[in-house]
Amino acid sequence: MNNNKTDADIAFVRALAQILNENNLGEIEVEREFGEDDELKVRLSRSAPAAVQTAAPSPVVSAPAAVTPSPSVPVEPDAAPAVDAAAVPSPMVGTVYLAPEPDAENFVKVGDTVTQGQTILIVEAMKTMNQIPAPRSGTVTNILVEDGEPVEFNSPLMLIS
Amino acid sequence: MLPKVETLTTIDSTNAEAKRRAGSSQRGPIWLRAETQTAGVGRSGRSWYSPKGNLYATFLTPFAGEMQDAALMSFVACLAVAETLDGYIGSGGANRVTLKWPNDALLDGKKVAGVLLEAGGEQHARWLAVGIGINLIDKPTDARWPPIALGEVTEVPAAAEVLTTLAQNFDQLQSRFETEGFKPIRTAWLARAARLGERIEARLTTETLTGIFKDITEDGALLLATDDGDKRITAADIHFP
Repeated sequence: MNNNKTDADIAFVRALAQILNENNLGEIEVEREFGEDDELKVRLSRSAPAAVQTAAPSPVVSAPAAVTPSPSVPVEPDAAPAVDAAAVPSPMVGTVYLAPEPDAENFVKVGDTVTQGQTILIVEAMKTMNQIPAPRSGTVTNILVEDGEPVEFNSPLMLIS
Repeated sequence: MLPKVETLTTIDSTNAEAKRRAGSSQRGPIWLRAETQTAGVGRSGRSWYSPKGNLYATFLTPFAGEMQDAALMSFVACLAVAETLDGYIGSGGANRVTLKWPNDALLDGKKVAGVLLEAGGEQHARWLAVGIGINLIDKPTDARWPPIALGEVTEVPAAAEVLTTLAQNFDQLQSRFETEGFKPIRTAWLARAARLGERIEARLTTETLTGIFKDITEDGALLLATDDGDKRITAADIHFP
Protein backbone atom coordinates (compact mmCIF):
# COMPACT_ATOMS: atom_id res chain seq x y z
CA MET A 1 0.00 0.00 0.00
CA ASN A 2 2.99 2.28 0.44
CA ASN A 3 3.40 2.49 -3.29
CA ASN A 4 -0.20 3.60 -3.66
CA LYS A 5 0.35 6.35 -1.16
CA THR A 6 3.43 7.45 -3.08
CA ASP A 7 1.46 7.47 -6.33
CA ALA A 8 -1.24 9.60 -4.73
CA ASP A 9 1.41 12.00 -3.45
CA ILE A 10 3.00 12.23 -6.87
CA ALA A 11 -0.38 12.99 -8.40
CA PHE A 12 -0.96 15.65 -5.77
CA VAL A 13 2.41 17.31 -6.39
CA ARG A 14 1.81 17.16 -10.13
CA ALA A 15 -1.52 18.95 -9.65
CA LEU A 16 0.22 21.60 -7.57
CA ALA A 17 2.78 22.11 -10.30
CA GLN A 18 -0.01 22.60 -12.80
CA ILE A 19 -1.67 25.23 -10.61
CA LEU A 20 1.71 26.91 -10.24
CA ASN A 21 2.14 27.15 -14.00
CA GLU A 22 -1.42 28.11 -14.82
CA ASN A 23 -1.43 30.99 -12.38
CA ASN A 24 2.12 32.21 -12.93
CA LEU A 25 3.03 31.52 -9.34
CA GLY A 26 6.60 31.23 -8.11
CA GLU A 27 6.06 29.16 -5.02
CA ILE A 28 3.46 26.97 -3.40
CA GLU A 29 3.99 25.74 0.11
CA VAL A 30 1.62 23.05 1.36
CA GLU A 31 1.38 21.41 4.74
CA ARG A 32 -1.07 18.58 5.01
CA GLU A 33 -1.94 16.59 8.10
CA PHE A 34 -4.17 13.54 8.05
CA GLY A 35 -6.02 12.65 11.18
CA GLU A 36 -9.24 13.42 12.95
CA ASP A 37 -9.01 17.08 12.05
CA ASP A 38 -7.54 17.01 8.60
CA GLU A 39 -5.54 20.13 8.11
CA LEU A 40 -4.38 21.77 4.95
CA LYS A 41 -2.18 24.87 5.08
CA VAL A 42 -1.28 26.56 1.85
CA ARG A 43 0.92 29.56 1.13
CA LEU A 44 1.12 31.01 -2.36
CA SER A 45 3.75 33.41 -3.60
CA ARG A 46 4.31 34.97 -6.98
CA SER A 47 8.02 35.67 -6.73
CA ALA A 48 10.24 32.65 -7.02
CA PRO A 49 13.39 32.56 -4.86
CA ALA A 50 15.55 32.96 -7.98
CA ALA A 51 13.77 36.17 -8.93
CA VAL A 52 14.32 37.59 -5.48
CA GLN A 53 18.03 36.95 -5.83
CA THR A 54 18.11 38.85 -9.09
CA ALA A 55 16.50 41.77 -7.39
CA ALA A 56 18.76 41.75 -4.38
CA PRO A 57 21.87 43.47 -5.84
CA SER A 58 19.90 46.57 -6.79
CA PRO A 59 19.49 48.81 -3.74
CA VAL A 60 16.73 50.89 -5.29
CA VAL A 61 14.23 48.11 -5.93
CA SER A 62 11.29 48.64 -3.69
CA ALA A 63 9.49 45.29 -3.53
CA PRO A 64 10.53 41.82 -4.63
CA ALA A 65 7.00 41.13 -5.74
CA ALA A 66 7.41 43.68 -8.50
CA VAL A 67 10.15 41.63 -10.12
CA THR A 68 7.82 39.15 -11.77
CA PRO A 69 4.81 41.14 -12.84
CA SER A 70 1.92 39.00 -13.95
CA PRO A 71 -1.26 40.98 -14.04
CA SER A 72 -3.54 38.18 -15.20
CA VAL A 73 -4.34 36.57 -11.85
CA PRO A 74 -4.37 38.62 -8.69
CA VAL A 75 -2.88 36.46 -5.96
CA GLU A 76 -2.54 37.69 -2.41
CA PRO A 77 0.23 36.10 -0.37
CA ASP A 78 -1.36 33.65 2.08
CA ALA A 79 -4.63 34.05 0.24
CA ALA A 80 -7.31 31.37 0.28
CA PRO A 81 -5.72 28.53 -1.65
CA ALA A 82 -6.91 27.15 -4.95
CA VAL A 83 -5.66 23.71 -3.88
CA ASP A 84 -7.77 23.49 -0.77
CA ALA A 85 -10.86 24.55 -2.60
CA ALA A 86 -10.39 22.40 -5.68
CA ALA A 87 -9.28 18.98 -4.45
CA VAL A 88 -11.88 16.26 -3.92
CA PRO A 89 -10.52 13.87 -1.27
CA SER A 90 -11.41 10.19 -1.24
CA PRO A 91 -13.93 9.51 1.51
CA MET A 92 -12.72 5.92 1.84
CA VAL A 93 -10.05 3.32 1.17
CA GLY A 94 -10.66 1.32 -1.99
CA THR A 95 -10.17 1.06 -5.73
CA VAL A 96 -11.18 3.83 -8.10
CA TYR A 97 -13.26 3.39 -11.25
CA LEU A 98 -13.70 6.31 -13.59
CA ALA A 99 -16.55 4.65 -15.51
CA PRO A 100 -19.75 2.90 -14.34
CA GLU A 101 -18.48 -0.36 -15.85
CA PRO A 102 -15.54 -1.52 -17.96
CA ASP A 103 -15.72 -0.19 -21.54
CA ALA A 104 -18.36 2.38 -20.62
CA GLU A 105 -17.68 6.09 -20.98
CA ASN A 106 -16.10 7.81 -17.97
CA PHE A 107 -18.41 9.65 -15.58
CA VAL A 108 -16.52 12.91 -16.22
CA LYS A 109 -13.48 14.18 -18.10
CA VAL A 110 -11.22 17.20 -17.70
CA GLY A 111 -13.05 20.33 -18.81
CA ASP A 112 -16.51 18.98 -17.96
CA THR A 113 -18.89 21.11 -15.97
CA VAL A 114 -20.35 19.17 -13.05
CA THR A 115 -23.18 19.95 -10.68
CA GLN A 116 -23.07 19.25 -6.97
CA GLY A 117 -24.18 15.70 -6.21
CA GLN A 118 -23.39 14.36 -9.66
CA THR A 119 -21.46 11.07 -9.58
CA ILE A 120 -17.85 11.73 -10.59
CA LEU A 121 -16.37 8.28 -9.98
CA ILE A 122 -16.78 5.05 -8.03
CA VAL A 123 -14.65 3.76 -5.17
CA GLU A 124 -15.00 0.02 -4.63
CA ALA A 125 -14.30 -1.70 -1.34
CA MET A 126 -15.43 -5.23 -0.43
CA LYS A 127 -17.59 -5.43 -3.57
CA THR A 128 -19.44 -2.30 -2.52
CA MET A 129 -19.52 0.26 -5.31
CA ASN A 130 -19.63 3.70 -3.74
CA GLN A 131 -20.70 6.41 -6.13
CA ILE A 132 -18.77 9.52 -5.13
CA PRO A 133 -20.81 12.71 -5.61
CA ALA A 134 -19.26 16.01 -6.69
CA PRO A 135 -18.97 18.02 -3.45
CA ARG A 136 -19.76 21.23 -5.35
CA SER A 137 -20.62 22.50 -8.80
CA GLY A 138 -17.75 23.58 -11.03
CA THR A 139 -15.33 22.52 -13.73
CA VAL A 140 -13.17 19.41 -13.60
CA THR A 141 -9.64 20.78 -14.03
CA ASN A 142 -7.69 17.61 -13.31
CA ILE A 143 -8.24 13.91 -12.63
CA LEU A 144 -5.53 12.71 -10.27
CA VAL A 145 -6.25 8.96 -10.29
CA GLU A 146 -6.24 6.24 -12.90
CA ASP A 147 -8.94 3.68 -13.51
CA GLY A 148 -8.42 0.66 -11.25
CA GLU A 149 -5.95 2.46 -8.99
CA PRO A 150 -6.10 1.79 -5.23
CA VAL A 151 -6.64 4.93 -3.12
CA GLU A 152 -6.26 5.73 0.55
CA PHE A 153 -8.60 7.72 2.78
CA ASN A 154 -8.31 11.41 1.89
CA SER A 155 -6.18 10.88 -1.24
CA PRO A 156 -7.00 13.68 -3.71
CA LEU A 157 -9.11 12.21 -6.52
CA MET A 158 -9.90 15.15 -8.72
CA LEU A 159 -9.74 18.93 -8.90
CA ILE A 160 -13.05 20.73 -9.31
CA SER A 161 -12.81 24.51 -9.32
CA MET B 1 -41.34 -4.86 11.69
CA LEU B 2 -39.59 -6.04 8.58
CA PRO B 3 -39.30 -3.76 5.57
CA LYS B 4 -41.88 -4.11 2.84
CA VAL B 5 -41.24 -6.44 -0.12
CA GLU B 6 -42.22 -5.38 -3.61
CA THR B 7 -42.36 -8.01 -6.34
CA LEU B 8 -41.60 -7.12 -9.95
CA THR B 9 -42.39 -9.57 -12.73
CA THR B 10 -39.41 -8.60 -14.81
CA ILE B 11 -36.85 -5.81 -14.63
CA ASP B 12 -33.41 -5.02 -16.08
CA SER B 13 -31.85 -5.60 -12.67
CA THR B 14 -33.07 -5.08 -9.13
CA ASN B 15 -29.97 -2.99 -8.37
CA ALA B 16 -30.66 -0.77 -11.37
CA GLU B 17 -34.27 -0.31 -10.22
CA ALA B 18 -33.07 0.48 -6.68
CA LYS B 19 -30.66 3.11 -8.04
CA ARG B 20 -33.40 4.72 -10.13
CA ARG B 21 -35.63 4.94 -7.07
CA ALA B 22 -32.83 6.32 -4.91
CA GLY B 23 -32.24 8.91 -7.62
CA SER B 24 -35.84 10.06 -7.28
CA SER B 25 -35.63 10.28 -3.48
CA GLN B 26 -37.31 6.94 -2.75
CA ARG B 27 -34.61 5.40 -0.60
CA GLY B 28 -36.68 2.74 1.15
CA PRO B 29 -36.18 0.73 3.27
CA ILE B 30 -37.69 -1.76 0.85
CA TRP B 31 -36.85 -5.14 -0.63
CA LEU B 32 -37.29 -5.29 -4.39
CA ARG B 33 -37.61 -8.79 -5.82
CA ALA B 34 -37.82 -9.64 -9.49
CA GLU B 35 -38.99 -12.94 -10.92
CA THR B 36 -36.58 -12.52 -13.81
CA GLN B 37 -33.93 -9.98 -14.77
CA THR B 38 -33.11 -9.03 -18.33
CA ALA B 39 -29.76 -7.47 -17.43
CA GLY B 40 -28.70 -8.93 -14.09
CA VAL B 41 -25.25 -7.71 -13.07
CA GLY B 42 -22.28 -8.93 -11.08
CA ARG B 43 -18.95 -7.26 -10.32
CA SER B 44 -17.17 -5.35 -13.11
CA GLY B 45 -20.30 -5.23 -15.24
CA ARG B 46 -20.41 -9.02 -15.65
CA SER B 47 -23.84 -10.44 -16.29
CA TRP B 48 -25.74 -12.48 -13.72
CA TYR B 49 -27.72 -15.47 -15.01
CA SER B 50 -31.33 -14.65 -14.17
CA PRO B 51 -33.92 -17.23 -15.28
CA LYS B 52 -37.28 -17.53 -13.56
CA GLY B 53 -37.23 -19.53 -10.31
CA ASN B 54 -34.03 -18.20 -8.73
CA LEU B 55 -33.92 -15.35 -6.25
CA TYR B 56 -33.02 -11.82 -7.37
CA ALA B 57 -33.54 -9.17 -4.75
CA THR B 58 -32.15 -5.81 -3.69
CA PHE B 59 -32.55 -4.22 -0.30
CA LEU B 60 -32.66 -0.45 -0.69
CA THR B 61 -32.22 1.62 2.45
CA PRO B 62 -31.18 5.07 3.61
CA PHE B 63 -27.68 4.79 5.02
CA ALA B 64 -26.48 7.30 7.57
CA GLY B 65 -23.09 5.71 8.32
CA GLU B 66 -19.69 6.54 6.91
CA MET B 67 -18.98 5.41 3.35
CA GLN B 68 -16.39 2.97 4.62
CA ASP B 69 -19.07 1.31 6.76
CA ALA B 70 -21.28 0.69 3.73
CA ALA B 71 -18.56 -1.70 2.57
CA LEU B 72 -18.92 -3.69 5.80
CA MET B 73 -22.57 -4.35 4.98
CA SER B 74 -21.11 -6.66 2.35
CA PHE B 75 -20.30 -9.14 5.12
CA VAL B 76 -23.68 -8.68 6.80
CA ALA B 77 -25.36 -9.54 3.50
CA CYS B 78 -23.42 -12.70 2.72
CA LEU B 79 -23.81 -13.98 6.27
CA ALA B 80 -27.57 -13.53 5.92
CA VAL B 81 -27.41 -15.55 2.71
CA ALA B 82 -25.34 -18.28 4.40
CA GLU B 83 -27.69 -18.57 7.37
CA THR B 84 -30.66 -18.76 5.02
CA LEU B 85 -29.05 -21.57 3.03
CA ASP B 86 -28.13 -23.41 6.27
CA GLY B 87 -31.78 -23.50 7.21
CA TYR B 88 -32.82 -25.23 4.00
CA ILE B 89 -29.92 -27.67 3.91
CA GLY B 90 -30.57 -28.80 7.47
CA SER B 91 -28.02 -30.58 9.60
CA GLY B 92 -24.45 -29.93 8.53
CA GLY B 93 -25.50 -26.90 6.51
CA ALA B 94 -23.12 -24.57 8.25
CA ASN B 95 -20.19 -26.79 7.26
CA ARG B 96 -21.22 -26.95 3.64
CA VAL B 97 -21.84 -23.24 3.11
CA THR B 98 -18.61 -21.23 3.07
CA LEU B 99 -17.83 -17.66 2.09
CA LYS B 100 -15.31 -16.49 -0.46
CA TRP B 101 -13.97 -13.00 0.19
CA PRO B 102 -15.68 -10.70 0.29
CA ASN B 103 -19.22 -11.95 -0.20
CA ASP B 104 -19.71 -14.97 -2.47
CA ALA B 105 -21.56 -17.89 -0.89
CA LEU B 106 -20.22 -21.33 -1.82
CA LEU B 107 -22.10 -24.57 -1.33
CA ASP B 108 -19.79 -27.60 -1.31
CA GLY B 109 -17.16 -25.30 -2.78
CA LYS B 110 -19.32 -24.17 -5.71
CA LYS B 111 -20.85 -20.73 -6.14
CA VAL B 112 -24.51 -20.67 -5.11
CA ALA B 113 -25.03 -16.94 -4.48
CA GLY B 114 -23.50 -13.56 -5.17
CA VAL B 115 -23.85 -10.17 -3.58
CA LEU B 116 -23.18 -6.75 -5.10
CA LEU B 117 -23.66 -3.55 -3.12
CA GLU B 118 -23.96 -0.05 -4.48
CA ALA B 119 -24.09 3.17 -2.50
CA GLY B 120 -24.46 6.80 -3.36
CA GLY B 121 -26.16 10.11 -2.69
CA GLU B 122 -25.05 13.25 -0.96
CA GLN B 123 -24.18 13.36 2.73
CA HIS B 124 -27.71 14.13 3.95
CA ALA B 125 -29.38 11.64 1.61
CA ARG B 126 -27.12 8.64 1.30
CA TRP B 127 -28.54 5.29 0.25
CA LEU B 128 -27.34 1.73 0.08
CA ALA B 129 -28.53 -0.98 -2.31
CA VAL B 130 -27.69 -4.56 -1.36
CA GLY B 131 -28.20 -6.81 -4.37
CA ILE B 132 -28.43 -10.56 -3.77
CA GLY B 133 -28.75 -13.38 -6.27
CA ILE B 134 -29.21 -17.02 -5.19
CA ASN B 135 -29.24 -19.98 -7.59
CA LEU B 136 -32.27 -21.86 -6.27
CA ILE B 137 -33.29 -24.18 -9.09
CA ASP B 138 -31.03 -23.22 -11.97
CA LYS B 139 -27.39 -22.24 -12.53
CA PRO B 140 -25.35 -20.71 -15.33
CA THR B 141 -23.49 -22.95 -17.76
CA ASP B 142 -20.68 -20.54 -18.56
CA ALA B 143 -19.73 -19.28 -15.11
CA ARG B 144 -16.17 -18.24 -14.22
CA TRP B 145 -16.48 -20.19 -10.99
CA PRO B 146 -18.06 -23.71 -10.82
CA PRO B 147 -21.73 -23.03 -10.05
CA ILE B 148 -24.37 -24.96 -8.13
CA ALA B 149 -28.07 -24.52 -7.43
CA LEU B 150 -29.50 -25.11 -3.96
CA GLY B 151 -32.03 -27.46 -5.59
CA GLU B 152 -29.22 -29.93 -6.32
CA VAL B 153 -28.81 -30.72 -2.64
CA THR B 154 -32.22 -30.12 -1.10
CA GLU B 155 -35.85 -29.38 -1.77
CA VAL B 156 -36.21 -25.69 -2.49
CA PRO B 157 -39.12 -23.42 -1.61
CA ALA B 158 -40.36 -20.62 -3.88
CA ALA B 159 -38.14 -17.57 -4.26
CA ALA B 160 -40.65 -15.36 -2.43
CA GLU B 161 -40.50 -17.62 0.60
CA VAL B 162 -36.70 -17.70 0.55
CA LEU B 163 -36.69 -13.91 0.52
CA THR B 164 -38.88 -13.80 3.64
CA THR B 165 -36.29 -15.88 5.51
CA LEU B 166 -33.40 -13.92 4.02
CA ALA B 167 -34.97 -10.58 5.01
CA GLN B 168 -35.38 -11.80 8.61
CA ASN B 169 -31.79 -13.00 8.82
CA PHE B 170 -30.53 -9.80 7.22
CA ASP B 171 -32.51 -7.67 9.64
CA GLN B 172 -31.09 -9.50 12.68
CA LEU B 173 -27.52 -9.28 11.44
CA GLN B 174 -27.90 -5.63 10.51
CA SER B 175 -29.21 -4.82 14.01
CA ARG B 176 -26.24 -6.64 15.47
CA PHE B 177 -23.86 -4.67 13.24
CA GLU B 178 -25.51 -1.41 14.30
CA THR B 179 -25.38 -2.16 18.02
CA GLU B 180 -22.16 -4.17 18.37
CA GLY B 181 -20.14 -3.03 15.38
CA PHE B 182 -18.19 -5.13 12.91
CA LYS B 183 -16.46 -7.37 15.45
CA PRO B 184 -19.11 -10.13 15.80
CA ILE B 185 -19.82 -9.97 12.06
CA ARG B 186 -16.13 -10.40 11.29
CA THR B 187 -15.89 -13.36 13.70
CA ALA B 188 -18.91 -15.07 12.15
CA TRP B 189 -17.57 -14.44 8.67
CA LEU B 190 -14.11 -15.82 9.50
CA ALA B 191 -15.70 -18.98 10.91
CA ARG B 192 -17.05 -19.66 7.41
CA ALA B 193 -14.18 -18.28 5.38
CA ALA B 194 -13.16 -20.45 2.45
CA ARG B 195 -9.39 -21.16 2.23
CA LEU B 196 -8.42 -19.19 5.31
CA GLY B 197 -4.74 -19.94 6.01
CA GLU B 198 -4.30 -21.36 2.52
CA ARG B 199 -2.79 -20.12 -0.73
CA ILE B 200 -5.15 -18.01 -2.84
CA GLU B 201 -4.89 -15.75 -5.84
CA ALA B 202 -6.23 -12.18 -5.84
CA ARG B 203 -6.83 -10.72 -9.29
CA LEU B 204 -6.78 -6.94 -8.98
CA THR B 205 -7.44 -4.57 -11.86
CA THR B 206 -3.76 -3.81 -12.16
CA GLU B 207 -2.03 -7.03 -11.06
CA THR B 208 -2.50 -10.56 -9.77
CA LEU B 209 -1.15 -11.42 -6.33
CA THR B 210 -0.76 -14.84 -4.75
CA GLY B 211 -0.15 -15.57 -1.13
CA ILE B 212 -1.56 -17.00 2.05
CA PHE B 213 -5.01 -15.73 3.06
CA LYS B 214 -4.11 -14.61 6.60
CA ASP B 215 -7.10 -12.68 7.87
CA ILE B 216 -9.55 -9.91 7.20
CA THR B 217 -8.79 -6.56 8.77
CA GLU B 218 -11.09 -4.52 11.01
CA ASP B 219 -12.29 -2.67 7.94
CA GLY B 220 -12.98 -5.83 5.99
CA ALA B 221 -9.92 -5.81 3.72
CA LEU B 222 -8.32 -9.12 2.80
CA LEU B 223 -4.88 -9.60 4.32
CA LEU B 224 -2.66 -11.57 1.97
CA ALA B 225 0.83 -12.72 3.00
CA THR B 226 2.89 -12.56 -0.18
CA ASP B 227 6.60 -13.01 -0.83
CA ASP B 228 6.82 -9.19 -0.73
CA GLY B 229 5.14 -8.97 2.67
CA ASP B 230 1.53 -8.53 3.76
CA LYS B 231 -0.85 -6.85 1.32
CA ARG B 232 -4.16 -5.29 2.26
CA ILE B 233 -6.65 -5.83 -0.56
CA THR B 234 -9.98 -3.99 -0.87
CA ALA B 235 -11.05 -4.96 -4.37
CA ALA B 236 -10.23 -8.13 -6.29
CA ASP B 237 -11.58 -11.38 -7.70
CA ILE B 238 -10.38 -14.26 -5.56
CA HIS B 239 -9.40 -17.57 -7.11
CA PHE B 240 -8.17 -20.79 -5.55
CA PRO B 241 -5.11 -22.06 -7.45
